[in-house]
Amino acid sequence: MTSTKARIHLRVANKKAYVWDVEDIATIRTKHRLCGVFTGTLPHLSQQNLFLGVPMVLLPEEVVLLVENEIAVLVDDPKAHIQPSVVELQRWNLKEKELAQLQLAQLATALENSPAVMSEEAVRKRKERELKKQAAAAAAKAAEAGLLAEADNSIFSPPENATAPPAVDTQYTVVIPASSTSFEWYNDSACLYTTVQSAKDAGIWEYPSNLHERAKCGVFRGLWEQGMYMGGGIKFGGDYLVYPGDPLRYHAHFSATVLESPTLSLPPMEIVAHGRLGTVTKKSHLLCGWDDEKKEVSYLSIEWAGFG
Amino acid sequence: MQAHPSYQALADVLPKYPRASGSLFQTYNDILLVQQWTDVEVVELEGISRAAITGKKPKTDATLYVVPCSLAETLSFGWLTTAFTLLSDPPEIFLAITSDDASIVYYKLSRGIVKPQV
Repeated sequence: MTSTKARIHLRVANKKAYVWDVEDIATIRTKHRLCGVFTGTLPHLSQQNLFLGVPMVLLPEEVVLLVENEIAVLVDDPKAHIQPSVVELQRWNLKEKELAQLQLAQLATALENSPAVMSEEAVRKRKERELKKQAAAAAAKAAEAGLLAEADNSIFSPPENATAPPAVDTQYTVVIPASSTSFEWYNDSACLYTTVQSAKDAGIWEYPSNLHERAKCGVFRGLWEQGMYMGGGIKFGGDYLVYPGDPLRYHAHFSATVLESPTLSLPPMEIVAHGRLGTVTKKSHLLCGWDDEKKEVSYLSIEWAGFG
Repeated sequence: MQAHPSYQALADVLPKYPRASGSLFQTYNDILLVQQWTDVEVVELEGISRAAITGKKPKTDATLYVVPCSLAETLSFGWLTTAFTLLSDPPEIFLAITSDDASIVYYKLSRGIVKPQV
C-alpha cells in the first residue's frame, strides 16, 4: 500500500467521499471491513430506495481511517474533470453513434427472427400510426433543417443509414457510464491527496474539524481495530451500531455513543434510556469515552441489572 | 431519618456526604430490605463524594458493588471510571439511580466491550 496508484481513489464532491468502482467497494468491505452506504438510485426510478447501488458514500470516519492507513487517497472530483478538446468530443460522438447503430441493427435482426404476434388488424393500425408520425416528423424536420446544419453530427437525430425496417422505432439507449474514469477528459493525477491534512489544505475536506469529530474518528478506529463493523446508529439512538462481523451475517451486539471527553456531562437519564432500549433489543449499549490528550478510547458496557 | 432502623449502619457517611445521602439511604434500604441481599456493607468512596454498597444477591456467593446516584445529578464518563477505580476495579458495578418519588432503577456497567447476555 505504498504507491498512490495502488490505493483506492475516493472521489470527493461537496465534502463527501464517494466510491464509484464496484471492485473498490468489494475491497473496502471484504479487506478493510468498512461498509459505507449505497446512495445510487435508477435514473427513471429515483424515488425507490429499497435497491440502491453505486455510488457508495462513506462515513467521514471511514474516510479518515482509510486515508490514515494509506489504503485510499482523496480525489478532488470536480477538478479531475478537465475541459475536453474538440477532437476528444468528436471521437466520443463517433463512438456513441457506432454504438447506436449496432443497437438498432441488433434490434432489427431480433425482430426479423421473432414470429409475428400481431393480428392483421393491429398491424394495419400500427402502420397507420407510424405513417402519421413520420409525416409529422418530416414536417418538423423540414422546419428545423435550416437551424440544424450539423444535424447528422448529433446523436439525438436518428442515423440516416439506419437499417431498421419502418415497423421499428428508431429508438436506442444512450448509456452514460457511472464512473468518469473512462473519459479521455478525466485525469485525477493532479488532484490527489494522500493525507487528510493536505486535502483539508486544498479545501476539499473538513473532517475532523473539532473535538467531537476527533473523538468520533478515534472511537471508530478503536472499535474497528478490535475487529468490529460499524454502521450508522440512528435506529437505536446512538452514534454507531456495532457488529461483531459483517452486518449481512450478524446482528448488531451494541449500539454505541461517543463521549468526547471524560468530563462531558452525562445525565443518569441517558444511561437509563440507552440501557433499557439496548436490553429490549438484545443489545448492550457502549459508552465510548475519548481522551483527547492521550488519544485513547475506553469503553463501558451498559445493561439493565435484571432487578429493581 | 435518624429514627429509621437502617440509620445506624449509615450514620458515619450520611452527614459526611449530604448531597448523596438521599440516594444512598434509599438504595441501602432497597438492597437490604427489598432485594434481600446478604452481607450488606457500606464502603466510602471519597473521590466521588459518596458511599457505595457491597453485598451478595440471595443464595449467591459473589460480592457485588452498588453505586447510588440521584436522577437529578450530572455524571460523566470520568466519574464512572473513577467509581470503578475506587472500588479496586471489579469487572462490573451496579449503578442505582434514584428519584424523588422513591422509585429506583439499577443498571449494570461493565468495563470494556462486554457482549450482551443471550
